[in-house]
Amino acid sequence: MTQTVDEPGPHQRRGQGGAAATATYVFAVCRDGDPAAVAGLPGQAPGAPVRLLRFGSLEAVVQDVPAAEFGQEALRERLTDRTELERCARAHHAVIAAVAAGAPTVPLPLATLYLGDERVRAALREDERRFHAVLERIAGRVEWGVKVYARRETTGGPGRSATVAPARTPAGAPEGPSAAGAAHAATPGAARSVGRSGRAYLERVRGARQERERRQQAGLDAAEAVDRALRGVAVASRRLRTHDTALTGERGTQLLNAAYLVAEGREREVAEAVEEVRSAPACQGVEVEVTGPWVPYSFVDGGGLDARG
Amino acid sequence: MTGAGREPVRAANGRLELDPDRVGRDLVCLVLTVVELLRQLMERQALHRCDQGDVTDEQIERIGTTLMLLDERMDELCAQHGLTRDELNLDLGPLGTLLER
Repeated sequence: MTQTVDEPGPHQRRGQGGAAATATYVFAVCRDGDPAAVAGLPGQAPGAPVRLLRFGSLEAVVQDVPAAEFGQEALRERLTDRTELERCARAHHAVIAAVAAGAPTVPLPLATLYLGDERVRAALREDERRFHAVLERIAGRVEWGVKVYARRETTGGPGRSATVAPARTPAGAPEGPSAAGAAHAATPGAARSVGRSGRAYLERVRGARQERERRQQAGLDAAEAVDRALRGVAVASRRLRTHDTALTGERGTQLLNAAYLVAEGREREVAEAVEEVRSAPACQGVEVEVTGPWVPYSFVDGGGLDARG
Repeated sequence: MTGAGREPVRAANGRLELDPDRVGRDLVCLVLTVVELLRQLMERQALHRCDQGDVTDEQIERIGTTLMLLDERMDELCAQHGLTRDELNLDLGPLGTLLER
């Protein structure tokens, strides 16, 4: 299967030196789209209208954009700028959401560019069958995103734990490295004066390890429970890579980042499944975040689907 | 090579700022991360040895005290360099993080 359009980016413009003053930006592919739905949108280049471009039996949602602003260098520059990336992504999504409201729509990756309308037609026609297959799968369905986060608990290292481990101190226990011990004996703080014995410290380390293992297992169990509940409502599901803690910020570790393809109009079932799983005993230590309905972004590339997909 | 959980310094335009101080701090962070990894491995080994029962009470006490002091020393080193213990980590992508959270 050729995947000409799956690789986003300006490398599709290879072979020519950017002689064209405009390039064609492709947002999505749809079937029987409504031109009026997108006509007024700013898209990626305010000024030029967002329009439908017919190819074979389908339509591409396109816009003319200034080639200079969407060249390889210019694009890389813009898309590494977070503010600009967000603006591009939102504009991209706004167009896709508008089309998808009225017709089955396959979103294309951000910054899918061709040198002109003819190049768009030629490239997309090669993939026409694949687009039909994807449209078949997502027509009348929407995507729900579900993320599960571990609730942040106040974690302290073993040295900072206030719980005193049952330490049986043998008579005449050694004092440890005496010089360092003396230096630390004066350290202020109540936690530090608790359980200065080496054995007690090891017991605290052991306790902390067991607690962490228990918490990790509980987190995985909760994520599985949520996934199971949502799969019951969904036609297909995908597990996406979980986000790094640097991005999730205060929310705690992300345990599950999944997308579910659900028939339109089943919002109630989704909400009920989520409510039910939220109150399940296994999920008391986690937060379940649900977003949607989305255009099925996660279900357009054919890979990673459940057998039921 | 930044520790997870730390928001990189960003200029107004949102680009990453590469200044020499920051690079130095990241290097310290990396070194301390490796030291912390070794310290945790030693702790794990110590617990393992205790479980096996092939060390005497006296040895357990001494190992425990040493590890406890190392732990405190790590706190001090982190404080000196303006780092927190949570920052001592590496994101290994799909493999998770180098140190357990």
